[in-house]
Amino acid sequence: MSKINNLLLTLIIAVNAYLILAPVLPAIFFHVGKYTGEQQRLQKMIKAPTGTRSSPASSQPNQVIIPSMLLDQPILEGPESQQYKILDKGIWRFQWSSTPDKGGNTVLIGHRFTYTNPRGVFYFLNKVSLGDDIGVVWNNRHYVYQVVTINEVPPNDTAIEKATPNPELTLFTCTPLWLPKDRLVVVADLETKS
Amino acid sequence: MSEKTKFWILLALLLLSLALAVVLNTNLNKALLGS
Repeated sequence: MSKINNLLLTLIIAVNAYLILAPVLPAIFFHVGKYTGEQQRLQKMIKAPTGTRSSPASSQPNQVIIPSMLLDQPILEGPESQQYKILDKGIWRFQWSSTPDKGGNTVLIGHRFTYTNPRGVFYFLNKVSLGDDIGVVWNNRHYVYQVVTINEVPPNDTAIEKATPNPELTLFTCTPLWLPKDRLVVVADLETKS
Repeated sequence: MSEKTKFWILLALLLLSLALAVVLNTNLNKALLGS
């Protein structure tokens, strides 16, 4: 019985240590990434002309790259009925929104923080500033957007998901980080495509 | 305190910790999908 109790105590300590330390991990990785020049690498990646990254014949996964928050993640697709499962894996393109090749409003949604991998793809969305570049690879074409607005809206404000006449990218996640009650919304206009 | 009592207390604490993890994980993203 004593051995079982020791095992239980160890498990309690391990679970609670993870609960406390896991939210700090993204911040550690972010600062390490800043020192190792990850931001510059991602900036070059989205500004590089077509053909320097891969041969045109090879298929690149759809992905979003945001140098200012050191983000390079695939864009996941799927029906709304599976949104929770998909969001646990990464960034979900809102099913009813447009896609970069069709123009209009492409809406990408991501968790701010989760205790499972990836630990909140939009953890650092608040690090994005006006004028920052956002790169999107979609069906092997490269799109560069520039951030034009950043604001916070209540969760029932669905206007951010609506179609727009101009090609734009809308990213949103929860805010504030630890007591989320609103959505942090970043809107970017299309700058170039290649 | 008997070993058996300790066992039940520790088991309850472990279950509480796991429940806390689930609640935290859910609440941290409750504003995302308007729920």
